[in-house]
Amino acid sequence: MTVFSRGMAPGPPADTYRSGLRAWLDEHDLSPGAGYDGSLDAQVAQLDRVRRELWDAGWMRYGWPEAVGGRGGPSALRAVLGEEVAARELAEPGLYSMVEVLVPTLLSYAPPALATAMVPRLLSGQEQWCQGFSEPGSGSDLASLTTRAVRDGDTWVINGQKVWTSLAQYAARCVLLARTGPDPGHAGISAFFLDMDTPGVTVRPLRTMHGVDEFAEVFLDDVRIPADRILGRPGDGWRLAMDLLPHERSTCFWHRVAHLYTRLDRLLDDAAAPGDEAAALGEAYLALHTVRCRSLTTQHRLADGARLGPETSVDKILLATAEQQLLDTVRDVLPGAVELHDSAWRTEYLYSRAATIYGGTAEVQRNIVARRLLGLGKE
Amino acid sequence: MDAEERELLEETLRKTMTATPSGGGLDAALTELGWPDMLAEEPSAAIRAVFRLLGETGAHAPLVNDVLLYEMGRPLGGALPMPYAGGKWVEWSREASVTGTAVDPGLPLLSVAEGAPVPLTLGRQALAWWLLGTGHAMLALARRHVLDRHQFGRPLASFQALRHRLAETLVALEGAEATLVHADGELSSLLAKAAAGRAALTAARHCQQALGGLGFTAEHPLHRHVKRTLVLDGLLGSTRELTREAGRVLAARGAAPRLVHL
Repeated sequence: MTVFSRGMAPGPPADTYRSGLRAWLDEHDLSPGAGYDGSLDAQVAQLDRVRRELWDAGWMRYGWPEAVGGRGGPSALRAVLGEEVAARELAEPGLYSMVEVLVPTLLSYAPPALATAMVPRLLSGQEQWCQGFSEPGSGSDLASLTTRAVRDGDTWVINGQKVWTSLAQYAARCVLLARTGPDPGHAGISAFFLDMDTPGVTVRPLRTMHGVDEFAEVFLDDVRIPADRILGRPGDGWRLAMDLLPHERSTCFWHRVAHLYTRLDRLLDDAAAPGDEAAALGEAYLALHTVRCRSLTTQHRLADGARLGPETSVDKILLATAEQQLLDTVRDVLPGAVELHDSAWRTEYLYSRAATIYGGTAEVQRNIVARRLLGLGKE
Repeated sequence: MDAEERELLEETLRKTMTATPSGGGLDAALTELGWPDMLAEEPSAAIRAVFRLLGETGAHAPLVNDVLLYEMGRPLGGALPMPYAGGKWVEWSREASVTGTAVDPGLPLLSVAEGAPVPLTLGRQALAWWLLGTGHAMLALARRHVLDRHQFGRPLASFQALRHRLAETLVALEGAEATLVHADGELSSLLAKAAAGRAALTAARHCQQALGGLGFTAEHPLHRHVKRTLVLDGLLGSTRELTREAGRVLAARGAAPRLVHL
């Protein structure tokens, strides 16, 4: 976290923070209100509200540096907060966790004044941001992206198309990857901080199989970005993208696992005779317990100052596998719940099909394990 | 024990396990080395080091008895009936004359009548570390093989189908290790044994496949690890039984216990 990590206040111990947070949440119920209909609009409004309340009360400020309105302390405090938000079902965990990759990116790569001005808007629920990485022609092979940025005086002119951009239709800003150099590979990619209301930006939400238009296509036609909105230096884009992964795979994963435990609890509630399904429930629980233990190990390594790397692909594979196994178990144990009724289970089951695709496919993760952890050389 | 002491201990243990004949000989050598004191002073570190290395080296010794006796607060040495999968009971003999009928021919395991209930927490941790070590031994054999052997003019390691099998094996072993590191109670130890059994069985399946015909011969060491996995998985409850038991716990409580915390 470069300049921002210096002189961070130590923050309270995780236990103290958790008990204080729980007591506060018991008194301040942030659950969705009576008008909540579960639509994406409602989810985003609820997310804004949760962030705002937690920011105003100070809970959301721990784990972040003081220069962006934070109160310092380790990132584990953010993991504790996200776990509590997930456990109480205050916000959709995937959307809630987006700050965990966006903010560290700004702290590491944005000019300090820009980070200081912008980060509080995201953390306090004033704004949503998005991340423009994937393209129609560049999914797993992100380094092949073709959106281009050409320097013109003191601006960059961007042309291209992004896809799978979560919450782009709600976003005020976008961390965008584009090609600035002649190099066709990693080296020619740069990152920008784009205002989404800039002329030439068109957003079209994507219909997906689970019925929530969370993802969007973003079209960029002669979009002009001031030169001081580049993140890092020209050519730093790939490194920025790679630096995101450890953030995504530590705090975000802890949040997700916490959410999946709430789903297993719900399944135990909904099952007519859970005792008859002991084997399947035990398997789902074992997979969840395993990824929770692994994620805890990763959190401890992070706290000890370790630089996270390819070993987090193990966490990713365990999590995606556990998520799909849990939702498969839901479908087995609650016959018809997915197929016959428009329920939360249907949405969650369908969404779980993407777990082995987003954030690096299951196959890409196994390639990384084989190459980097097992030392099997090139394919 | 700090990291340096642990490393030194592991080095000594590894040498002893490699140089001493398994069974009674190794049992005596480890006692000589101070196994009973280690177990009494730092049970979880001792169990972790000794049993994981039994797995990695392919050696064996009847030390599960000691772990159960220690947890019962009884003097170490001797053997006692232990529950096996399917409601069966076995004794891991310490008599030099005994040869068992287990699929793993080295292990002096005898079928016996049902014995008195035994505490299972530490014993399951011990067997889980052993299974984890065995899994890593199989993975090391398969890894070496796919790097060395060429077919169709390429190393086997360049074929994605095999790479993914071995990746899957490592993921299972790493997941199991995480559960073991955080195993400190009855349910978490049960889950760790299930995770380690599952991981070792996964390793056996994928590594056997990667080794092709070679891994099916009696000359290659793989089969010993495969057979050991089968036997150890059933001792003090199989993966299948333990996961079902965990499911019963969930059903009875109506919620999934969060066993580890930040």
